Amino acid sequence: MPRYHNINGNRVQFTSEEETARDAEEKAVADAAPARALANLRSKRNRLLAETDYCALSDVTLSDDMKTYRKDLRDLPAGKDTVDKCNNATWPTKP
Amino acid sequence: MSIVKLSNNGVKNATALGSISSLGSMIFIKKLTASSSATLSFVDGSSDVTLDNSYKEYLFTFNNIHPETNTAKFTFQGNAAGGSGYDETITSTFHYAYHDEADSEAGVSYYGGGDQAQGTAFQRFSSGGVGNGNDECTSGYLHLFNPSDTTFVTHFISRNSTYQDNNSVNDNYVAGYFNTTSAIDEIQFKFDSGDIDAGDICLYGIL
Repeated sequence: MPRYHNINGNRVQFTSEEETARDAEEKAVADAAPARALANLRSKRNRLLAETDYCALSDVTLSDDMKTYRKDLRDLPAGKDTVDKCNNATWPTKP
Repeated sequence: MSIVKLSNNGVKNATALGSISSLGSMIFIKKLTASSSATLSFVDGSSDVTLDNSYKEYLFTFNNIHPETNTAKFTFQGNAAGGSGYDETITSTFHYAYHDEADSEAGVSYYGGGDQAQGTAFQRFSSGGVGNGNDECTSGYLHLFNPSDTTFVTHFISRNSTYQDNNSVNDNYVAGYFNTTSAIDEIQFKFDSGDIDAGDICLYGIL
């Protein structure tokens, strides 16, 4: 289906060159979707880890529950190679 | 000049008011309405669109911009007078606040995935993608400062509220400049994937 610009209110059909360029642009966006989803997952994971960093200070005894929680967070990105896997990740529960 | 204090009664009982001159004005220039449009473009010089030295500041308001494709990011770029396309060099910053409908997540963050350092890509308005559910969209504004100036770079700032595809709101702040001393006389808006199904963008000039 052809694409259209709206230029100053006028509907203008894409040229074949513009269609080719837009196809490539959209393919690049789609191809990068898993990487973006993984980056978002890592961003949230890092935030959650940072929230419990104080528990891992040398003068604090880290509980086993907290050790497990933080390890599960660190391991979470492993194998998340699709958008669905990233979006449906099971997040560990903070003790 | 004497100073007159106004009270509620004073204003209510006034029978005549002096006029105030030389105030600035915001002048409506053009409204573009998307209808499965791949792009929305404002180009100086035709169809009543002015984007030149008539105004020192221009304001675009975008309302209920709804994507065809779920998670698409709304973007914009400029084209300099005599330029070959929407690929001006941009340096920008991006930070945002977020909060989800489940009230389980909220925060403020700088977003490195949305800024540019001398990049020529379309500038993102939102950190997350806009949802394409029937009631999901993004709304906000973009200020463009003195785009016809040929001595200084052209600055822009934007703020928008975006209904993200994961049922959360993003309050996005984007600022930066087109790193060129050529006049910017064209601005184009589009999603990074798919059409703009619906919504409108209005252009105003500010005196």
